[in-house]
Amino acid sequence: MSNSLLTVNNLTIESRSGEPLLKGINMEIGRGEMAALIGESGSGKSLTARAILGILPDEMKVNGQILYKGRDLLKLSENEHRLLLGKEIGIIFQDYRGSFTPYIKIGQQMIETIRTHQRISKKAAKEAALLVLRETGLESERVYNSYPFQLSGGQVQRAAISMTLALRPNMLICDEVTTALDLMNGEKVLKYIDKARRETDCAVMMITHDLAQAYKWSDRMHVMYQGAIVEDGPTEQIRFHHQHPYTRKLCSSLLSLPKERKASSAEGVYSI
Amino acid sequence: MSILVVDNLSKQYSKNLQALKQLSFSLEQGESLGVVGESGSGKSTLARILIGLESYQEGAITFQESPIAPKKRAPLRAYRKNVQMIFQDAASALNPKLPIWKSLLEPLKNYSEFTPSFIEVDGLSDKDIAEKLLGLVGLDSNLADRYPGELSGGQKQRVNIARAISLEPSLLICDEPTASLDVTVQVQILTLLKELQQQLNITILFISHDIRAVTFLCERIIVLKEGSMVDQFELDDLYKSRRNSYTKALLDAASL
Repeated sequence: MSNSLLTVNNLTIESRSGEPLLKGINMEIGRGEMAALIGESGSGKSLTARAILGILPDEMKVNGQILYKGRDLLKLSENEHRLLLGKEIGIIFQDYRGSFTPYIKIGQQMIETIRTHQRISKKAAKEAALLVLRETGLESERVYNSYPFQLSGGQVQRAAISMTLALRPNMLICDEVTTALDLMNGEKVLKYIDKARRETDCAVMMITHDLAQAYKWSDRMHVMYQGAIVEDGPTEQIRFHHQHPYTRKLCSSLLSLPKERKASSAEGVYSI
Repeated sequence: MSILVVDNLSKQYSKNLQALKQLSFSLEQGESLGVVGESGSGKSTLARILIGLESYQEGAITFQESPIAPKKRAPLRAYRKNVQMIFQDAASALNPKLPIWKSLLEPLKNYSEFTPSFIEVDGLSDKDIAEKLLGLVGLDSNLADRYPGELSGGQKQRVNIARAISLEPSLLICDEPTASLDVTVQVQILTLLKELQQQLNITILFISHDIRAVTFLCERIIVLKEGSMVDQFELDDLYKSRRNSYTKALLDAASL
């Protein structure tokens, strides 16, 4: 891939007792690409993300390479890594309540975050914060002046995303960001992430166990099973022409809506 | 014949929080009815009222033609034998300190005057009965001696289903029974519920925010929004243009 942003080469992680947790992961994510990392609980999705972010527990043994813009993240000092996080690689977690300190207003926290990474005045940071909040479709002034508990889950999650995107990262890791949200709020959040990555060419690594979501939003899918990527490829290919037995099992477990049932039987006819 | 009739049901938690607003619907014997809605729509409140865990202020609930009192601790012994529930959190529904076979047998011990039809011969030991129950939900009989902590989420939910059907209830209320399970396991649990419903002729009230799961299991669907029922239809009419705009929005969000 010529426009590769992140390349993971043969990444392995062992627990302290020597148990293999990740078994030689290879992955490439291009600029502006939406890549889905899909698999069941315990398959190693979040562990992969944590390795990229450099937030694994010390006792885990990590081997391999994680090249971000050509630099091996595993060889960076703690300080170099810290500078990268947020500014270059943003992260949004499943538990949106943990994204903000409960007793500080959202706006205050956004200013603090922005000014940690950019040397700008408070006033400029406030404007930047209000702008990204507005872009997420939130009532910017109200959210800016609210405490996290005064907002709904979907609003807090969108505020967390806008805070992450305010730093204009080149890569965004979304770890099950919609799991704690309603279907409709989840869709809003994903729509916004998709819009943002198209506008800023930011790559997105979307960790999810939701197959429908991966089909709908990703360009490429990486299917994880028991610490390994068993299959990867363009989303259409994984959806309709998967090879690996686990992918087959996973894909067949998506319950179809009545309309899709008719559509998929038609697809069956074409494929014969 | 309607097995359950809910008429004008309202539930107020506090001055500003009305969880259910004049809800009316009925459930026919042997059917599976899906209740769809977002968080806060009143789905779980409805389930908890129907099982007698919550009181209600207005309206009436009639089960098999007898009224169900609005008070929480009303005498519900006979009712509860006939109405069983499966919760979202499979783990907290099982006592972690009891082996599976003991948890499984609790309902039958409480209703010792009742003999379910799957006990065909006399003189079965408790363990034998527990193993029969495990077989009904596709679990291996050697799980009987295990503890909940040793089972996967899907296995635990199967145990809960086995326990719920042990009294051969006429109505099974399922409140998001698959929401915390992996997708591959979700399908297995839904398939199990579907099979059990057909085999045992149980009526199912299936509560979920997952419209895909609901269309898999249910022939009829009601849609709740902020405590009110905004739509009600047969599965075949899901895509009809007369559907409520909120139903359409839900469907649109779920579609690929």
